[in-house]
Amino acid sequence: MSRTIVVGTRKGLFLIREDDDDGYALDPPLLAGWEVLHAVRDPRDGTLFACTNSFVHGGQLHRSKDDGETWEIAEGLGLPEESGLKLGKTWHVEPGLASQPGVVWLGAEPACLFRSEDGGATFTPVQGLLEHPTRDRWQPGAGGLICHSITLDRDDPERLYVGISAAGVFRSDDGGTSWAPANKGTAADFMPDDPYPEVGQCVHKVHVHPGRPERLWQQNHCGVYRSDDRGRSWERLDGNGLPSDFGFGLGLHPDDPDVAYVIPEHGAGNRVTTDDRLGVYKTTDAGASWRLESNGLPEPAWSVILREGMDFDAFGVAFGTQSGFVYARPHEGRWVEAARHLPPVLSVSLSA
Amino acid sequence: MAVLRLTGLLAEEVGARRLEVEAATLGDALRALPTSRLVLDEHGALRPLVHVYVEGARENDLGALLEPGAEVILIAAIAGG
Repeated sequence: MSRTIVVGTRKGLFLIREDDDDGYALDPPLLAGWEVLHAVRDPRDGTLFACTNSFVHGGQLHRSKDDGETWEIAEGLGLPEESGLKLGKTWHVEPGLASQPGVVWLGAEPACLFRSEDGGATFTPVQGLLEHPTRDRWQPGAGGLICHSITLDRDDPERLYVGISAAGVFRSDDGGTSWAPANKGTAADFMPDDPYPEVGQCVHKVHVHPGRPERLWQQNHCGVYRSDDRGRSWERLDGNGLPSDFGFGLGLHPDDPDVAYVIPEHGAGNRVTTDDRLGVYKTTDAGASWRLESNGLPEPAWSVILREGMDFDAFGVAFGTQSGFVYARPHEGRWVEAARHLPPVLSVSLSA
Repeated sequence: MAVLRLTGLLAEEVGARRLEVEAATLGDALRALPTSRLVLDEHGALRPLVHVYVEGARENDLGALLEPGAEVILIAAIAGG
């Protein structure tokens, strides 16, 4: 199996190439000078997309059709003047389904979503989210008011979900025209007067299961959750063997909807892995129980993994740390160090 | 005609350190830049940390008239680690 681990860092984009013998080769960085909050390779045609950010030149999206040799910057990423808002950082790029050639989604600050119909050359803002009636109840998290998760229902091209901090999860059943809050049962403990509000939750990462799209998994500021009804209700899962309810990265297994991976951190006030180790926890029973899966990972360790810092595919999972290490493993097996001494890792994504 | 002199990441992105553009005003010159969105935001305003010098003097007014052959230097603020 030969894959590429696409790694966004604070100092550019790195491609880690997996050899057939499970060794890893690291190419020199691309997009030097840019902070890459998220990057993916489009499985439809191999285009590389990178959410590039600069405190001078703003939030952008770069794309390359030649594996990073040349890049173009997307046009149209901006908010209408009448909104009173300006685009901040770009946080997540999500290629559309195979049945939607040309469609690309982009999530950004302040809590905005963009859609492209031409393969990411030009974008337009999604008005239904920009003008959502609950927007005045959304509050920025530590990373700002950001749309950081975009996850697609593989069976229904009209259905998709976004995760916004701190507004919660929203579902669209009409291709992004309208959006319904999907936060029932998820806590917002930082709102003591109403800890289960309609909106305002601080979702950290949300994924639809690729093979069972009525099931969603969520790592939240306040707990780990699973939904089996397309986000209409959520069950909290972190009382079942996890050392903490707090974390960012979230991995799944495309062929087994009962499997999930999380990397717990102490909590909002101490964002570092628990128990003096780099502990990845896995459930194989839909969250009823979790077990430590740290074979091959360093110990002791005090690591930080960000919300885009973990990814999964049919073969395994991978994640990167703020201290510049990247680890990967098959779903059954031990962790292998894929890269070390990178700049702080902001995102990891697996590409065939 | 105005002469744009580019530095840093902007020069890397445009692929040139010197560009000649047809422009009557500073705004015209910046809008003529490939990937002008790196120096102008979505509402057409100058990004605050892009510093512009026209004939050696700091200029923030996009309506400022340019003399023929005026040299416009774009310098990004530098900070961070």
